[in-house]
Amino acid sequence: MATVLHQPKQPGIGERIYQRLTDVPTWALWFLVLVWTIPSFGLFANSFRDRDAQRNDAFWNLLSERRGTLENYEAVLSSGATNDLTDSLITSLAIAVPATIIPIAFAAFAAYGFAWIDFKGRKWLFIATVSLLAIPLQVALIPLLQLFGDGTPFGGAHLTMPLTDKTLTVLPLNNLAGKASSVWLTHTGFAMPFSIFLLHNYISQLPKELFESARIDGANHFGIFWRLVLPLSIPALASFAIFQFLWTWNDYLIANTMLGFESSAPTTVRIANLAGDFDNTDHLLTAAAFVQAFVPVSVFFALQRYFVRGLLAGSVKG
Amino acid sequence: MKSTWIRLLAVVFSLALVAAACGSDTGTADTSGADDAAASLEAAQQAAEDAEARAAEAEDRAAEAEKAAEEAAMADDSEPAAAPASDRLVVTVSGPERSDAEAGALNAALEEFGNANGIAIVYKGSANWEADINIQLEAGSNPDISIFPQPGKLADFARDGRVLALPDEITEAVSANWTDSVMDFGNVDGTQFGVPNKNDLKSLVWYQPARFEAAGYTIPETLDELWALSDTMIADGNTPWCIGIESGQATGWAFTDWVEDMMLRTTTPENYDAWTTGELPFSSPEVTSAMETVLGEWNKPGAVFAAGGSIATTAFQANGEPLVNGDCMMHRQASFFSSFFPEGTPAADGTEGAVDVFYFPEGSTGRPVLGSGTLAGAFEDRPEVWAVMEYFGSPEYANARQVAQETLKRGDSETVVLSGFNTANLGADASLWHPLEQSFVGILQGAEVLRFDGSDLMPADVGAGTFWSEGTAMVNGDKSVADAAAAIDASWPS
Repeated sequence: MATVLHQPKQPGIGERIYQRLTDVPTWALWFLVLVWTIPSFGLFANSFRDRDAQRNDAFWNLLSERRGTLENYEAVLSSGATNDLTDSLITSLAIAVPATIIPIAFAAFAAYGFAWIDFKGRKWLFIATVSLLAIPLQVALIPLLQLFGDGTPFGGAHLTMPLTDKTLTVLPLNNLAGKASSVWLTHTGFAMPFSIFLLHNYISQLPKELFESARIDGANHFGIFWRLVLPLSIPALASFAIFQFLWTWNDYLIANTMLGFESSAPTTVRIANLAGDFDNTDHLLTAAAFVQAFVPVSVFFALQRYFVRGLLAGSVKG
Repeated sequence: MKSTWIRLLAVVFSLALVAAACGSDTGTADTSGADDAAASLEAAQQAAEDAEARAAEAEDRAAEAEKAAEEAAMADDSEPAAAPASDRLVVTVSGPERSDAEAGALNAALEEFGNANGIAIVYKGSANWEADINIQLEAGSNPDISIFPQPGKLADFARDGRVLALPDEITEAVSANWTDSVMDFGNVDGTQFGVPNKNDLKSLVWYQPARFEAAGYTIPETLDELWALSDTMIADGNTPWCIGIESGQATGWAFTDWVEDMMLRTTTPENYDAWTTGELPFSSPEVTSAMETVLGEWNKPGAVFAAGGSIATTAFQANGEPLVNGDCMMHRQASFFSSFFPEGTPAADGTEGAVDVFYFPEGSTGRPVLGSGTLAGAFEDRPEVWAVMEYFGSPEYANARQVAQETLKRGDSETVVLSGFNTANLGADASLWHPLEQSFVGILQGAEVLRFDGSDLMPADVGAGTFWSEGTAMVNGDKSVADAAAAIDASWPS
């Protein structure tokens, strides 16, 4: 037994991997970064070249051609065109901002509840919620669209009271099809498992002593949540906000399915419609892609310092 | 702790209410939002009366405001008061045509009709039309009318009872404007379901007359002459064909077009019809020999220029540029291909670099024409829907759309440009089209033996599935013709 205690300490597998990784020279990392950036850079260079140039030669001819043009950007941003992107950027914001804020509002409450309120079945409810991560949202598209529909076959969720003629709308969801709110609700529902998981991991790591002293000072759950947990969770909330904003901003499927005929289309849908099957506007896609990317990139850089902190949420004790 | 729970609940609940109230944010829906909110509150709390009173109050206020607005409109007699947008009948139309020029022209033509008849017509094109229409029908949020690029899909929906048969008077009115062979495209098992919308002509070979003249080539009149011309070009060091069949998920359709044109030229029209309905299998000698003829010509050394390296990796759109540059002499593609030549390429005007077309030469079976097109089908039975359906089949629609599409395409040009929109409508005014497209419209209007693109007539599993994918495998040499034909036959739904 004693011999075991005197053995020199072997570094763990994780430490060894970490050692090896730190030995990788910086130029190798730069090389990887460069390789990964080439496609995006090519797209960016092509966005300054006209249709014929894009179709004839590769993007690196931009410099030798010496005839870069802003025409593509002018075309996708000119007002009046059917596929003008300026309106759709506003529609995209109108979808992405509420679809980011609503799930955060719900998930922060839920995460606090799962982490610090003791109730029966808490563990199982949490496992059930998180395991919903495995449900692909595609399977729910048709039922959701029916729920948001105009009542046929079962739009909304209604309850007819016995003995009276009154029908109560339990969930006022009907007649949402085609409205931005149907997109918000869909995004909210499918963001719940991941957001609760992420925020729970962070909130449950907060030191217990904080809560005990707050309790002694007479704070109830709501006071603790509002005055302690929320301010302390800003990094986790911000990093989830970045994730959620990127997803909803870049989402095509839900917006295209839910919005139908009543609203103007978000940027992703407009871009997909930019090049018809039988038309000669496919060269505009390059510029459109960068117009679309501009907003999330600015959001990312604005919240970047939270991003790294939040990514580590729950993984490092602090 | 009980009070804490109630407070938490209250916050969540009020958030839900805010979301619900924001949801119905159109002007007319405001009062119903208040109603919903009132109903929910009633279920949760006892303050129902208060809320209801507030909702009723809001309703009253809205009604008053509406009345005032109406009175103001009435008082202003100098201008005829336009019907409020909410009072106009609404017809929704969806379809796969979605680019600026296509969707813009469609909307312009529909708006013209809608304004004259007090109907608000909304057209929305989608890049994802095929999947969208399935989801929308399942969920009951489908448009009133959809424009089908494939009669096979129209027929599937018609047999499922989803697309409605045209009322007799609409069929009668529409069929006066089209030849029987075009109307037949929208005919499923003897009942008319579809209204022809636009047409494309497929039996065309694009070439540059100046290059043919310089090399001393003449336009072939028969299939044998075409193959002989191709051999002469190879011997002269020219590449006869530009071919590329890549088209995203639809990769392979350009190959199926070649096979269809070859079927029409190497066997009877009756066999062609039997082939598209599944009675004549792909593994029959008629079909395999047509496919072998196509592949045989393509696989001759030096016969094909593929801009993307190989035929299957070259986008079908990418064949215009090399034809103009002289990398190849001919390109067999439909009439819509006019929009894929480099900007400013002259067409059919006798200048040096101009492109023109000749008819893909006849074989041993007369002078068949392969065409395609889109069809409008209706999902809802309302008078205004049928009015729009009838309009889709009218010469007024064809002319209005041509004018709108040509204007959208024209830009700064002072002369008529190619619009990319063609029609077989007998009443269409050909003088509205560019000279090159006038010849398309002429051929379409006059075609007696017109056969629809076969892959569009087959069940979608085959015509938009295995025929494309197995065809691509054949072109790549991954599969023999016999193996691929057997695989296509096996995928035919029983």
